Amino acid sequence: MLYTSLASSLLSAFLAMLGKQWLNRYTSTDMRGTAIERSQNRQRKLDGIVVWYFYYVMESLPLMLQAALLLLGCALSRYLWGVNITVASVVIGITCFGVIFYLFIITAGTTFESCPYQTPVSHALRYLGPRAKGIPHSTASVMVSAALDVASGALGVASAFRDGFRGSKTMGVITVHVEWYRPQWSRREIIPFLKDMVLELPPALAIDVYHLGKVMIWSLYAFAVGVYHLSSTTAMLLVSRLHGLPPTLERGVDWQLAVLDLQCISWMLQTSLDKTVHLATLKHLAAMTELADFDPTLVNDCFNAFIGCINVSGHGIVVIQGLEELAAVSAQCFFSTVSHLLVMDPTSSVLEEVYQHYLKIFPFPTNFHGHQFYHTMNAVHYLYIKPQRYRLLYWNSYKPSTHEHTVFAQNLAKVAQFRYQKMERKIPCFLLRFALYSFSLDPPPSTSVIAHCLSIVATDLGCDVPDITFGNW
Amino acid sequence: MEQISSLVTQKLESMANAGDCHLIQSKHKAINALLPYAALQEHDGNPEILDAFLHAARASKMLEFGWNRTREYTGTLFSKASPHAIILTAPHMEWGFLMDRGDLVQQWAVATSAVLYTEEVAQSVVDTLLQIAFWDQLLPHIPANIWLWLTKRPSLPPTCGGHYYGTCLTVAKAVRELKDIEIIKSYFLFVWSEWDYLKYGVFNESCISIREDFSDACGGWHRTELLQHLDHILTQLDQGLEHLQQHNPNLRESHFQRMKVQYRELKDILLEAVTGMSYPIIFHCMLT
Repeated sequence: MLYTSLASSLLSAFLAMLGKQWLNRYTSTDMRGTAIERSQNRQRKLDGIVVWYFYYVMESLPLMLQAALLLLGCALSRYLWGVNITVASVVIGITCFGVIFYLFIITAGTTFESCPYQTPVSHALRYLGPRAKGIPHSTASVMVSAALDVASGALGVASAFRDGFRGSKTMGVITVHVEWYRPQWSRREIIPFLKDMVLELPPALAIDVYHLGKVMIWSLYAFAVGVYHLSSTTAMLLVSRLHGLPPTLERGVDWQLAVLDLQCISWMLQTSLDKTVHLATLKHLAAMTELADFDPTLVNDCFNAFIGCINVSGHGIVVIQGLEELAAVSAQCFFSTVSHLLVMDPTSSVLEEVYQHYLKIFPFPTNFHGHQFYHTMNAVHYLYIKPQRYRLLYWNSYKPSTHEHTVFAQNLAKVAQFRYQKMERKIPCFLLRFALYSFSLDPPPSTSVIAHCLSIVATDLGCDVPDITFGNW
Repeated sequence: MEQISSLVTQKLESMANAGDCHLIQSKHKAINALLPYAALQEHDGNPEILDAFLHAARASKMLEFGWNRTREYTGTLFSKASPHAIILTAPHMEWGFLMDRGDLVQQWAVATSAVLYTEEVAQSVVDTLLQIAFWDQLLPHIPANIWLWLTKRPSLPPTCGGHYYGTCLTVAKAVRELKDIEIIKSYFLFVWSEWDYLKYGVFNESCISIREDFSDACGGWHRTELLQHLDHILTQLDQGLEHLQQHNPNLRESHFQRMKVQYRELKDILLEAVTGMSYPIIFHCMLT
C-alpha cells in the first residue's frame, strides 16, 4: 500500500507537470492570421480540450493524490499497529477523521451547489444523479462484455508476471548463490558471493528482460484492446444517454468551419462587454449564409445584444445613441438564429427561455415602427410571439441589402417549410405578402430570393417542396 | 428556381383541372402573390405560370379573385408586364382599391390596342371594362373607343366581375350616354344573362332604354336580337336553379325568382314595342 501510494503520488506529479505544459501550449497565442483565423484556431483548441476530456484528466490529478494519501494513511496505520498500538491509534483516528470529513464535503457539495467545498466527486455525482436511473439497464450488458475483455487482458498480464517471476533466471541465480554462500556470511566472507553475483547476474537479467518484455507486449496488447473496447463503448453510451445526441456527422470542411465560427461567436458574445467587439462579431454572424449546428444559447446572446442597445418605455422603443447599427445587426442575427432554431429544434428549452425573456422586456405590444429593425423584429414577433399578440406588418418600406434580403427570405422559407408545412398549419399572411413584395421589386431581387419566395408560395399551395435546410439552392 | 417554378405551375394546373373551387378560393392569396412573378416570366417568354394562374383564377368561380394587397404593386406590374399579360390579368385586379389610379386605366387602354384579337383577349377586355366603368373615379379615364369591344360580344364566364359590376346603374347610364345603339344592344346582351339578376336601377334603365332607344323603326332588328336573347335566358331559367348552380354556385333562390320576373317583364316590354313592326318580328313573337 505504501508503494502504491508512492507510485500514485509520483504519477500524479508527472501528469501535473505534463498538464502544465499542455496548458501553456493552449494559452499560447498565435500571432499570425486574421482575427477570425486566430479565433478559429483558439476555438479549435478549445474543442480539442472538450473532445479529449482534458478537463476530466486534470480533475483526476487531485483525485489520485487524495487516493495516495488515503493509501498512505491505511498503510501507516497497519505498519504502526505492529510497532506501537497507541501511536497507531492516533494515526488511525486522524485518518478516519480525514475520510469522514471527505465524505461529508462530498455529500454537502452534491446536495448544495453553492457549497464552497466542491470536489470532483461531488460534481460528478450531481451531474449523474438525475440521469443515473436509465443508465444501469442499458450499460449493464455492454459493460459486462467489455469488462470480460478487460478482465481477460488483466489476467493475461498477471499470469505473465507470475510465470515470469516463477521461471526467472535472475531469481534462480540469486537463490542458488544465496543458498550456497549463506554459511560463509557468518564468517564475514561475502566477497566471493558478490564476485559471482557480478559475473552471473547481468546475463541472467538480460535473458529475463527479453522474456518478460515479450510476454508483456502480448499481454498489454490484449489488455489495451479490452480497455479500448470498454472505454469507447462506455463513452458512446454515456454521450448518447446524457445528451441524447448521435455522434457528430461527417460533413464538409465549410460546415466544420461554420460550426467553429458559431462557437467563436457565441464565446465572444458571452465573454466580451465591448460593444465594438459585439458589432464586429454579429456582423460576421449576419454575413453567414448558412447556420450550422450551433449552441442554442446563441439565440439568447443575440437577443441580449439587441436589448442592450435599446430602452423600452411603454409601447415605444428608444435606441441608445451610437448603437443604432448594433441594434439593427443584432436584431437581424436574433431573427436568423431564432428561425433556425425553430426549424432545427422547435422543442428547445432555450426558445421558451427567450420567449419568457421577450415578454418580460416587451410587456406591452411594443411598436418597432420607425426603426431600422422594424421588419426583422416584427418577423420574429409574427413567427414566435404572435399567437398571443397580433400586429400588422407592412413591407413597403423594407429596403434590405441583397445579402440581407437573401438571408431573410431563406429563413422565412425555411420556417414556412418546416414549421407550417410539416405541422400542417396555414402559412401566415405576412409571409405571402413578403413574397408578393419581393416579386414586385424593381429591379427584381436575386434568383435566390425569388426561389425562396416561390417556395413560400409553393408550401402554402401544398406542394412537396424540396428540402432547403442545408442550402440546396 | 426552375424546379420550384415548375412545381408551382403543375400544382396550379392540377388544382384548376380538379375543379375544386373551394380549395382554390382558400389559396387565392398565395396564387395572387405569384402574379408579378408570372407576368414577368411571360414577358421573358415563359407563359406557363401565367397560364396556370389564369386557369386557376377562372376555376375559382370567384367574382373577385384578386387580393387587395396586390394593389400596391399593380403600377410596377403594369410597367413591367407585356400588353398581353396586362390584358389577361386586368380582370383579376382589385379596381375598387385603385380608384386614384386613372393612369393604370390609360395604360390598360393602350395595351388593348397593342394585342392581337383572340376570344380570350376580348373576354378579358370586356370583363375589365365593365368592372372599371363601375367606379365613378375611373370611368372618365376610359377612352370612348374601348366601348367598341362590347360589340365583339365575346362570351363571358358565368362568374366574373364583369357580370356583377356590369349590372349596376352607373355602367348602364355610362353606356346609354354613348348613344350608340350597337354598343347599347351589346351591353344588354352581356348584362342580361341567366347568371345574375339586374340591380333595380339597371332594370329600370333597361326598360327606359327599350322604350326610348329601341322604339323607332331602326331598332327593329336590334329588338329581334334582344328578344332572341331573352328567350334563351328564359329557356335556361326554366331548367331550374340546380341546373344553373352547376355553373354558378353563387346563385341563390331569391336571385333566381327575381330573374324570372325581371326577364319576363323585359320581354313583355319588348313585345309592346313590337306593335306596328314588320311581319317577321310579329311572326317571331307569336312563335315564342
